Amino acid sequence: MTRLLVLGAPDWFYNLVTKFIAVGRGPVDYLIWPLLQIAVVLFIIATLVAYLVYAERKISALIQARLGPMRVGPWGLLQPLADLVKLISKEDIVPDKADRTIFPLAPMISVVAAFTSLAVLPFGPTWLHIADVNIGLLFVFAFSSLGVLGIIMAGWSSNSKYPLLGGLRSSAQMVSYEVGMGLAIVGALVFTGTLSMVGVIDGQIRSGVWNAFYQPLGFFIFFICGLAETNRTPFDLPEGETEIVGGFHTEYSGFRWSLFFLSEYTGMLIVSAVATTLYLGGWHLPFVTSRIDPNASPFLYSIVGLITFAGKVTVLIYVFMWFRWTFPRYRYDQLMDLGWKWLTPAALANIVLTGIVYVGIKYGLHLKFAGANDGFIGPANIKAKLVTILVMFAVATPVVLGFVAFLNRRTATWDIAEQRRRQIVARTERRARIAGLKV
Amino acid sequence: MNWKRALSRYLLIDLFKGLRVTFKQQNPGEIITEQYPKVRPIVSERFRGAPRLNLDPETGESLCIACNLCAVVCPENCIEVGWENREVVASGRQAQKRKVLTTFIFDTSRCLFCNLCAEVCPTYCLELTQDFELAAYTRKDFVWDREMLEHGREIRKYRK
Repeated sequence: MTRLLVLGAPDWFYNLVTKFIAVGRGPVDYLIWPLLQIAVVLFIIATLVAYLVYAERKISALIQARLGPMRVGPWGLLQPLADLVKLISKEDIVPDKADRTIFPLAPMISVVAAFTSLAVLPFGPTWLHIADVNIGLLFVFAFSSLGVLGIIMAGWSSNSKYPLLGGLRSSAQMVSYEVGMGLAIVGALVFTGTLSMVGVIDGQIRSGVWNAFYQPLGFFIFFICGLAETNRTPFDLPEGETEIVGGFHTEYSGFRWSLFFLSEYTGMLIVSAVATTLYLGGWHLPFVTSRIDPNASPFLYSIVGLITFAGKVTVLIYVFMWFRWTFPRYRYDQLMDLGWKWLTPAALANIVLTGIVYVGIKYGLHLKFAGANDGFIGPANIKAKLVTILVMFAVATPVVLGFVAFLNRRTATWDIAEQRRRQIVARTERRARIAGLKV
Repeated sequence: MNWKRALSRYLLIDLFKGLRVTFKQQNPGEIITEQYPKVRPIVSERFRGAPRLNLDPETGESLCIACNLCAVVCPENCIEVGWENREVVASGRQAQKRKVLTTFIFDTSRCLFCNLCAEVCPTYCLELTQDFELAAYTRKDFVWDREMLEHGREIRKYRK
């Protein structure tokens, strides 16, 4: 059966529309409903992003024993509005030597790439997501890598050294971390067997186990790569305020700059949503969503699902911000080290181990119960699931860590105290040798 | 590298320690920001700010005896005391000639808040108070006359 790209309007919406205008099912399903959904999602996300900036400022303020924005509205709640007015009314400067076609195009590409991914995000069950594409995850990955094109174009077209450096860093970072990210999700996909975002969540709901338990390491790698993908601290080298002024957006001002900002925060939202979908069970809330019958009360189920999903995304975004105000930025070579020497091999090893465990336990299940071939998606043996989780935590994770440690046994350590210790040892040896020669 | 150290590195113990510190910091009770125009800050006890000429709390007359010591001791010469010799009838006494204060000019723009004038004052009349909002729009406004020194500057209350 082919899957429809657009899911179609729910019955209550169709009934509502036909009360006012006489239209068939077709226009409502394929025109009015999707357009309405897109408008609502865009409006909510744009507002949300503005308040994410507010949240970030508040969290950073709390971490630094400050108060943050307090003057506009109660507790500074209208600050995003004031920021918006300021950004729109600011002068739009285009540098004299800038490339006049690419320069305005770059922020647009960033924003469009970020917003397009929203189309396949499963915000909630039934009618709450815009489209259920059967390659949903691939789609999100494709568009999140497209976002970096905007950054590179911005870096190039500004015709200035700092943006160029920022663009270069961004492209290198993207190439190294996209690999780790793509490999990290394979482990989770082994358990769900589909690339569709809704399918992934459905699989987790049916099996009752979130993929994060099957894939602790995969989740970890995915999250780190997600940080790098969205240019968040500790991986904010493309911006690198202390080194390269503002990075790729040094020459941007006013509204164009705010477009980059918008795409950055939307990217954060998307990575959090994808992590929630892949690893944290999407809109699945244990003991709550399983008690609501989706067929009997679809509306309640959808709303509870939406709130659950939003809650999980909020927690992840909080972690993003918490990380930002805790960790200092990586040095460029450390960033490359981490991406290529640690995360990518770890993700590869994770795939191999996941495959072995999956096939082993599935085969064992098959031997025990003939026909239990749906493996981990269906309501298979709970003992097998527990054993899988145990093996993944207690065996696979240490093995992967050991493997990566073995790979990096000759890599220069980042531990400064350790480096110093080695230096002292080397110096003592050298001195002893010299002294020996003199005698 | 010993085993303990290696293990703590692979389990990212240091990173989690850092995260713990920043998480614990997010306590709204530990904020040290002062909401200045809304809430007036409490300045140090020894803070020396706007000058004031104290009045006798019983009679309401100035405590200043126009001895001119403050003007003499002032390193910046920012105080100017004006007086005249006048017949004064104190209660229950005969009329006698006394030095009476007429004008008192204090230039706050030149003052360095060294507190020498307040220390030298024999009647504890001149005093540097805790008030710190001394900004003015013109140079003329920095020069405080006797009226302003006795009654203090009008403090604007900010609602927002």
